[in-house]
Amino acid sequence: MNRKAKMLYRRLLQAVPIMILATFVVFSLMQLLPGDIAVTLAGENASEERIAEIRELYGLNQPFLVQYGSWLWHAIQGDLGSSLLTGEAVAETVSRTFPTTLFVVVYAIVLSVLIGVPLGILAASRPGSPKDSFIMSVASLGVAVPNFWLGMILVLLLSLTLNLFPATGFVSPTEDFAGAIWYATLPALALSTGGIAEVARQLRGSLVEIHHSQHVRTLHAKGLSPAKILWKHGLKNVSVNLLTVVSLLFTKILAATVVVEAVFAIPGMGSAVVNAVLEGDFPLVQGAVLAMVVTVIVVNLTTDMLYTVLDPRID
Amino acid sequence: MKNLDSQDSVIVEGIQLSRRHFLAMLAGGVALGALGNPLSALAQAAAANGGVLRVAAQANPSSLDPATGGSGSDHVFLYPIFDTLVEWDYATLQPKPGLAKSWEFKDPRTLVLTLEQGVKFHDGTPFDAEAVKFNLDRSRTDVRSNIRTDLASVESVEVTGPYEVVLHLKAPDAALPLILSDRAGMMVSPKALKEMGERHDRNPVGTGAMKFVSWADGAKIVCTRNPDYWKPERYAVAGIEFTIITDPATRLRSLMSGQSDLAYHLGGRQLPLIERAKGLQVYTDSTIYCFQLYLNYSRGPLQDVRVRQALNYAIDRQAYVQAVLAGAGEPAYMNLPKSHWAYDPEVAKLYPYDPDKAKALLKEAGYGNGVKLDMRGYNDQATIQAEEVLLAQFAKVGIGGRFTNGTIPEMSAAYFARGEGDLILSAWTGRPDPSMAYGLMYSKNAYFNAGRVAPPEGFDEALAESRATDDLAVRKQALAKVQRLVMEHALVVPLAFRMDIVAAASYVQGYRNNLLGKPKFEGVSLKKA
Repeated sequence: MNRKAKMLYRRLLQAVPIMILATFVVFSLMQLLPGDIAVTLAGENASEERIAEIRELYGLNQPFLVQYGSWLWHAIQGDLGSSLLTGEAVAETVSRTFPTTLFVVVYAIVLSVLIGVPLGILAASRPGSPKDSFIMSVASLGVAVPNFWLGMILVLLLSLTLNLFPATGFVSPTEDFAGAIWYATLPALALSTGGIAEVARQLRGSLVEIHHSQHVRTLHAKGLSPAKILWKHGLKNVSVNLLTVVSLLFTKILAATVVVEAVFAIPGMGSAVVNAVLEGDFPLVQGAVLAMVVTVIVVNLTTDMLYTVLDPRID
Repeated sequence: MKNLDSQDSVIVEGIQLSRRHFLAMLAGGVALGALGNPLSALAQAAAANGGVLRVAAQANPSSLDPATGGSGSDHVFLYPIFDTLVEWDYATLQPKPGLAKSWEFKDPRTLVLTLEQGVKFHDGTPFDAEAVKFNLDRSRTDVRSNIRTDLASVESVEVTGPYEVVLHLKAPDAALPLILSDRAGMMVSPKALKEMGERHDRNPVGTGAMKFVSWADGAKIVCTRNPDYWKPERYAVAGIEFTIITDPATRLRSLMSGQSDLAYHLGGRQLPLIERAKGLQVYTDSTIYCFQLYLNYSRGPLQDVRVRQALNYAIDRQAYVQAVLAGAGEPAYMNLPKSHWAYDPEVAKLYPYDPDKAKALLKEAGYGNGVKLDMRGYNDQATIQAEEVLLAQFAKVGIGGRFTNGTIPEMSAAYFARGEGDLILSAWTGRPDPSMAYGLMYSKNAYFNAGRVAPPEGFDEALAESRATDDLAVRKQALAKVQRLVMEHALVVPLAFRMDIVAAASYVQGYRNNLLGKPKFEGVSLKKA
């Protein structure tokens, strides 16, 4: 077995205890949350007897470990259960909402890179120049501005005033890709400001550093054009840093979607999870946590594999 | 219980006013304009959606089965799919015929329903007396039914003809016709229930004007026109598509940018925005949804009726409506609004704003130096704003203390189920028959009577009297007695009735609000100019 396959195998094996631990911790935390889903389920005609009856009906009166054990037993067999609140199968909710969220997140990351990289290069081309300070101060602003506020500004300007983009909603990319891009542009833009800023700043920092390194000085001395140095040697060297930034951005933007989904009425997993946590709908929360843990593991693993591709010095 | 009415609109208004931001962003906007322009034609195309009404809805339903659901926000989705045995008048909530074309109390314990003929469920099952019996029996006995208490007075249901059903009652219950205008009167296909069991929660089959198509949790509910509807003139739209958007500011934006045709349960602070927007119309009407302070009179200072009365005198309800609801509400002096058929103007005069009287009552009760209360509320922005106004008004008469806030499930469980806290700022979403509401809030073991204290003497009798006959004039008198007892003993502090604020695109025609505050879309049509 070669090294890479070994690493992959080891990492996948590690993923199992991580998943069990994560779902157990989340399940325990949910027990600590105040509130009682039986009260919600009893609805407007709630009475003490009805609430007790519902606890019985849904097995909510069972000890904590029994409830978790029963969930885990079913989960191992591939049955994630159904939402206590609405009866929708958790697998269905997750497979419907998570791709939506992922689409917006990936779009936001693409925007971050597409806009952030040129800005970073531009700033690094003349460190200390007015152009550089301008880009860097705008980048600081990008980190500081809250996404939801920016989201509302974008809606006001590009949707309600100029009528270019829809203010709310989502179209599935598998049904209509152009429509999906059109609907997701404003939310992705709102989500990407922090990413653009971070990519630009990191790239500028690394490029400036490399610019001062001995091997670049040597390249200059050998008479290579600045453009060639940047494209062939500079960017290649900073690509590992860039990859780190992007993989960190992924989790950050994934978390930020919760608020942005609410602003744009995107039926993603963020809004589903928030509601499920507030109401104590634990099967849905567990399913969502599983999906997120798997995603983060996959992203980290992919990042690590890419490191070795981009920089052969890394094992 | 209360719905979250976040006031994000305030933020939006703030944004609209700040021109500097607008100009700063304009440059960027023009650049993107080149990219977006060819697509904006799609926006117009989306608005003409083949006669389907697109509604921005406020909450995901708890279930689409009328018997197993439990949230007051479900009805908006249920009404188009299910017809009710009895219906109500939009303006006064008086009962009127539905699937039951007439009803009669043969004696106070026998209710005879005569049914419409030729009605079919969406799956082709004929609607008849057997179907009614099946539904009523299921609703009052099935362990999953949340509405067993609604039908508690029914002893048995008897089929006396293909289109005639007799309800034998344990005790006289004139509230039944209006109870049958609510969940209990929504008729589900017996065949569908037998075949699907629990799955019917997500695959409803009724007799209504709209057939259910799909439901994606928290996202969308789609219905299409029932071509065999028994009253075809009633619904003019080809279907209804509900998009679930919990934030009111986002609901309004969705309407303004053309992704929805109609949005309901908007906030008072959004009115100026709606009025300024082009191509929108707005409907504002009072409802029986009542913001109120529930009191726990089994503990602390609130055991003393004088303290409870002082709370009622201490509140300037007019100012409350202005400050908290931006004027979009009706001051509440009891549990029924002015336009309701059972409203009693005499009871409404009991608690004018009178801070001096409040102070005097507190002094009499031994709280001359002020009283401290343990108050509860929800943690949404609108509630917290309301709490600030209440605390300021209370402070003027020497009532102090603080509000502890939490999520709705958390605080409801703590206050109503475990009896924590002296009072809670919440709301009563209303019931079609007032006797249901009074029974659920003030009877001895009622869940919403947090202290589980017996009601004042004469309450149970007056409530029973209000149910003993279906003569509305007699019922009104009995209910006036009930209202007077509740308010004289100050078992509650009513604050304001919510106005239902519904905004729609100008091409939406024929929409009307109703007093129940749960929108129905009968008579709505889409006429493009």
